[in-house]
Amino acid sequence: MKFPRRQVSRLSTALACAVVWLAVTAGTALAHGGSLGASSRQTVTVPTWLVLLTGGAAVGASFLLASLVTDRRLIEDVDEWRRLLPANGLTARLPVIVVRALGVVLLAVTVAVCFLGPQAPLANLGLLVVWVGWWAGFTMSTYLLGNTWPSLNPWRSLAGVLPSLDFAYPNRLGLWPAAVALLVLIWVEVVSPIADAPDVLGLTILAYTVLTLAGAVVFGADEWFGRADPVSRVFFYYGHVAPVQRDGDGLAVRLPGSGLTTLAVDTRSEVGFVVALLWGTTFDGFVSTPAWRTIVDALTPAVPLAVLYPLALAGGFAFFLSAYDAATRASKRLSGTYVTRGTLARQFAPSLLAIAAGYHLAHYLGYFISLSPALATVAAAPLNPPIEVPLLSLPGWFETVGMAAILVGHVLAIWVAHTTAYDIFPSRMQAIRSQYPYIAVMVFYTMTSLWIIAQPEVAPP
Amino acid sequence: MTDDPAARKPLESDPADNDAVVCDRCGRPFERETLLALHRGHVHFDDLSGDELSAFEAAYADEDEAIRLFRLKALGTLILLYFGFLMVYAVV
Repeated sequence: MKFPRRQVSRLSTALACAVVWLAVTAGTALAHGGSLGASSRQTVTVPTWLVLLTGGAAVGASFLLASLVTDRRLIEDVDEWRRLLPANGLTARLPVIVVRALGVVLLAVTVAVCFLGPQAPLANLGLLVVWVGWWAGFTMSTYLLGNTWPSLNPWRSLAGVLPSLDFAYPNRLGLWPAAVALLVLIWVEVVSPIADAPDVLGLTILAYTVLTLAGAVVFGADEWFGRADPVSRVFFYYGHVAPVQRDGDGLAVRLPGSGLTTLAVDTRSEVGFVVALLWGTTFDGFVSTPAWRTIVDALTPAVPLAVLYPLALAGGFAFFLSAYDAATRASKRLSGTYVTRGTLARQFAPSLLAIAAGYHLAHYLGYFISLSPALATVAAAPLNPPIEVPLLSLPGWFETVGMAAILVGHVLAIWVAHTTAYDIFPSRMQAIRSQYPYIAVMVFYTMTSLWIIAQPEVAPP
Repeated sequence: MTDDPAARKPLESDPADNDAVVCDRCGRPFERETLLALHRGHVHFDDLSGDELSAFEAAYADEDEAIRLFRLKALGTLILLYFGFLMVYAVV
């Protein structure tokens, strides 16, 4: 070692700051292109291709900056930084039973209002709670704050009072059923009217309730919610991106994303689920682009929609998984290691979750903010809401917040992959080379997701 | 289903072939002697013999050259990217 450690650390810290700086300035650079699809068409704006190129370059440059940090001690210190939360705080003492009861009451009210409330989408509390409060807002809280779903999950609380037959869950299935169920849920969400017909949503929740409780009774609640239930699994994974993490018996604040470096992805099926989550979130945005409508218009007479959607979901998933596998093969070849491909794929998979979270935020933050006043107003009078519900209209520049979210997700993912690589490989150059293919895939994915976000939204066919 | 770091599965490696050098403490195979020396220094630092310690230090120092070269290339690429985009933005 040529430099004394302190000096190297200081250099590395400066470089780490530069990563953040770059991400922020890239965000501002994008600000000019951000209003592209929105209102201001008269002003001179940056063309979409340049926005995409800039986003891709920002991710690539973040990797280059991160790769300059080669001091293992610093990488470990950043990864292990944590502050324990006081154990007598609200989080630890708030009786779990109260939270559980709250979850069950919320579920009951939601289902009841779906059937009894007004059927106009914006006036129905059930619909607003599910899409605005839960799928947008609560999901954000799981990766921005921490995963509270295990306590709040009403189905788990209900399953707790039911008997269990304790059949052994077939181990070899792993998370595959959950991955398939996740893609099926996304399919249902996109094609069925559950996004704007409260009674259909109510029926769907009831069907999910029956299935989930039956599964929990047959296999036991721990097994079911730990492995088979896609919803719990999504929040479990998103929760590892969050700053608040379980630490021994208590809770600790860690740097965002560092929970991912200690997340154990042990099986191929878990890699499959993580990729399904990333693809599912992407597909959810992709179906609202004009490009998807063009594809559908070209194919629909020949291929019915009922076939096209599952086909696209399965095909896209296969494509994402094979792209990830190709990156893993290349990573093994470039780093020259005996570590198996399967192990590399499992070790690097958690970094994808930061990307998925960033994309979710980009996709739903605006939706959540603009519909929150409606949720609050209707919640005050669920059965008899005012005819006019308030909505917040977002300024044109707000689109750039989504783009920044995508970039920040990728920068986190790059750092997680960097930490993982130093964990696996003894040589610094090996650790750097092993990341090239993953970075290439990330650059490609950034540009794809920025493109989706920049498209004007149209209703999916 | 746990996120205790101790519960992370140990790295699985392909079976060692004739070219491999194998760690006598944990059995992990490596392609080169220097990689093994680095591995011992990072993972089994507490029970290194004097020879192994100097092998580790030598292997670490050996890589400094490559790291310096890489840093230069990385910084060069960053500068190219920066000015490349500066010019593209000026033209568009």
